[in-house]
Amino acid sequence: MSVLDELVAGALEDQRDRARVTSLDELKAMAASAPAPMDAKRWLRRDDGVPVIAEIKRASPSKGHLTDIDDPGSLACEYARGGASAISVLTEGRRFLGSLDDLDAVRAAVDIPVLRKDFIATDYQIWEARAHGADIILLIVAALDDDTLGRLLALTHELGMTALVETHTRQEIERAIASGAQVIGINARNLKDLRVDVGRYAELADDLPDDVIKVAESGVFGETEVEDYARAGADAVLVGEGVATADDHELAVERLVKAGAKVKASEAQPLSTHHGPYYGRFGGRYVPEALVTALDELERVYEDAKRDPEFHKELARLNKQYVGRPSPLTEAPRFAERLRERTGLDARVFLKREDLNHTGAHKINNAIGQALLVKRMGKTRVIAETGAGQHGVATATVCAMLGLKCRIYMGQIDARRQALNVARMRMLGAEVVEVTLGDRILKDAINEALRDWVTNVRDTHYLLGTVAGPHPFPEMVRDFQKVIGEEAKEQLRDWYGIDHPDAICACVGGGSNAIGIMNAFLDDPRVNLYGYEAGGDGPESGRHAIRFAPGTGELGMFQGAKSYLLENDEGQTLDTYSISAGLDYASVGPEHAWLKEIGRVNYSWATDGEAMSAFKDLCETEGIIPAIESSHAVAGAYKAAADLKTRGYEHPVMIINISGRGDKDMNTAGKWFGYLTDEQSKALEANGAQGNNA
Amino acid sequence: MRETIEIIDNGDGEVIADMTETTAATPSGQPLGIAHRPSPCRRLFADYKAQDKPAFIGYLPFGFPDPDLSLEAFRTMVDNGTDIVEIGLPYSDPVMDGPVIQAASQIALRNGERIADVFRAVETVANAGGVPLVMSYWNLIFHYGVERFATDFANAGGAGLITPDLIPDEAGEWIEASDRHGLDRIFLVSPDSTDERLRVVAENARGFVYAAARMGVTGERSTLNDSSRELVARTRAAGAENVCVGIGVSTPAQGAAVGQYADGVIVGSALVHTLLDEQGDVRDPVQGLSALANTTAALADAIHGCRR
Repeated sequence: MSVLDELVAGALEDQRDRARVTSLDELKAMAASAPAPMDAKRWLRRDDGVPVIAEIKRASPSKGHLTDIDDPGSLACEYARGGASAISVLTEGRRFLGSLDDLDAVRAAVDIPVLRKDFIATDYQIWEARAHGADIILLIVAALDDDTLGRLLALTHELGMTALVETHTRQEIERAIASGAQVIGINARNLKDLRVDVGRYAELADDLPDDVIKVAESGVFGETEVEDYARAGADAVLVGEGVATADDHELAVERLVKAGAKVKASEAQPLSTHHGPYYGRFGGRYVPEALVTALDELERVYEDAKRDPEFHKELARLNKQYVGRPSPLTEAPRFAERLRERTGLDARVFLKREDLNHTGAHKINNAIGQALLVKRMGKTRVIAETGAGQHGVATATVCAMLGLKCRIYMGQIDARRQALNVARMRMLGAEVVEVTLGDRILKDAINEALRDWVTNVRDTHYLLGTVAGPHPFPEMVRDFQKVIGEEAKEQLRDWYGIDHPDAICACVGGGSNAIGIMNAFLDDPRVNLYGYEAGGDGPESGRHAIRFAPGTGELGMFQGAKSYLLENDEGQTLDTYSISAGLDYASVGPEHAWLKEIGRVNYSWATDGEAMSAFKDLCETEGIIPAIESSHAVAGAYKAAADLKTRGYEHPVMIINISGRGDKDMNTAGKWFGYLTDEQSKALEANGAQGNNA
Repeated sequence: MRETIEIIDNGDGEVIADMTETTAATPSGQPLGIAHRPSPCRRLFADYKAQDKPAFIGYLPFGFPDPDLSLEAFRTMVDNGTDIVEIGLPYSDPVMDGPVIQAASQIALRNGERIADVFRAVETVANAGGVPLVMSYWNLIFHYGVERFATDFANAGGAGLITPDLIPDEAGEWIEASDRHGLDRIFLVSPDSTDERLRVVAENARGFVYAAARMGVTGERSTLNDSSRELVARTRAAGAENVCVGIGVSTPAQGAAVGQYADGVIVGSALVHTLLDEQGDVRDPVQGLSALANTTAALADAIHGCRR
């Protein structure tokens, strides 16, 4: 006799004892006067959370005694205060040490659905559940033949109750559905180690009808399992030991409820208006507590500004009168011809000209937006990091315009690569601090800026330059950059009479210019989106800044957010390399990580060589000198064209985001293409203004 | 009911037998439940409160100046009066640390520090009679595996983790693992934390709450302002049982002043400093350990005796 058989037999024996005291007819009379059953299905699925069924559980056959529960009613109240959607009450007495008295106590204590959990095999037990006020009962498929299962389900529904039908194989699930089950509990333990195997859950739950509510029943203990099950598509979870044995039952349930809500919010669509802090599994706030108050304030002030028409008016005025927006959308027919020669694809190519903005790149869009927030917050000092110098220049510029004190942190290696930008920032009144710690590149500049911020947060705003870092930065910077894509969409229609592009190409370091041009198209599946990372010497070389290719980045927390990260086997950040300082970053914005995970954006890379060759192509064909960062997007256009061709496009419309202009890169380019003599190169090196020296 | 069904499938006992190899499980093969193991930090504070004295908590990075010497250093700290040892895990991007600890971390990384070896340091501290805590930036633990780290750490006799860049809101996996293994969760608060933030931290902390004496990163300061006294009071009012103060506490006099109102006093950079020379290079080990012993003893005397 298996343990289940034994438990069922025991439960039936106990039931027969009870039936001698209370007849079925008496039960039916009790049921008639019991509180009306609640429609539990309405409590077990919701868009904004993962309902938690919290269990009153003293013991189990596998773990033995778990905890004493003297007052199940008050425990149920604690669960309910923590946000439980239903209470499960074990009424089996032999191994689980439960009773119908527990059920009565819980029913009397809470006004949310109550589940009677027992080894139910007879009509009597179902009437009994109803008579004691249950709204849900458990039916275990493995313990019932098809006829009995069907009959018990029908009776349950007839009495206005809901059955949680427990299954743990594909075959049992099919039997449950065939019998008319509407709420299916799935047991997905990995039988090897008894750990929860969410992969197995996903396999079992796959292709269940939409109207069936899926309850994850096995091994839910804490937030980890709730999050994993929720991401695997579970509608609700049932948790016993994790809440019953907790020191603070209310807090334990509350944590699970929050975890479920977090997952639902993190997957919310539409993509273009998605809110942080979470982008799928990515994002969040991995920061010292000392920054939380400042981040909360920033979030509040930003939300407030978003609702304020005056803020939008001021931002639009500055964008137009100071930055020179809208930036043009320029057709590039001679470059398109070169693309056709190279790939055989006859595309129309348009360039979004962020290079024509004041200060020569898209960075100013975000710098102006945040600087206006600094004014709103009443802070007087701004700090920022910079890699290529573009964000540092943009920040120094808006600080000069608005009369804010400004300090820019720049890795020493970057500062040498971009000596002219250092001079520009100083000219604009900013203090430039060369960071000589760590690897002396962008990430080290961010570390120093974070240290400064932790120390001076009361009067200082950290004007982060990309869609990375802790919430609200990824969302806020996206919002300040999304004007790029909104303009491009309108210009394509109004200037060229084209409804929508077929493809968009952008380079991705932290990812702000890419998000900026892509955001307006994220929810339009007709538009193929391509992001290009800095390939350096190629992924096999180990000298690159590719985070998304197989064998490169891993999931990790870096500088405030969870995302893909280049790290060594100890979790220490890897030294990255690219000819372009602006793409030379070990991590990537969390929204990009999510867009990659859900397959919305196609990420690849361009090597130094490919980027420099594309740099030259655009110079020669269109008379436009792109930043080396943007040249990665131009190089990517060749790859995107090849992809579009294999997918059957014949005359696609492509937009390349030219995120910045290449004047700052002439030393690097001159050296790369041999336009400078050895002597001239040496002279530049002596000045510290050399390029490829990371 | 999940348990019964497992048992049916595992009726032959084979799976149960396999379970002895799974680390985080009960002997019967079930995943660990909530440990309800008493918190070693709480026990220490209760004991010290009865004697009306504050605890002395000392920090050094593991692997600094090199792995073996750092074990000597940890032993030296406990032998000279450190009650709780904060074993730092060196990280490439320590945003809460000032120049001294940054330099020490880099030296440790250069000298071959490996996370898997930190459990030797945990054992060393425990064997010497101290309470071992690990302080780590979260990516290191996440990368090692939160559950795996908790298992190895608990097995080595570890008491809890200090997490300078993990706030309770992001700590779900750690809260679960620490509950299963009975480990302390030490989160930080800072002078400008709101009452609501203090409440969130106090509610989720186990062992004690780490109050930063000032805004900013770790490092020695010649003066200490009074903002930490107020922060300790506010943190207690928000529900924290034990509150210790660190960041910027470096001299015996400062330690004694803070010890008047804090349950524990945390000193880091000043101890790290004893192992470095004026140029910031590693000192001769004998000299270094002797300086560490003297500084530790002076701090321990001042802190333990401050309320007498």
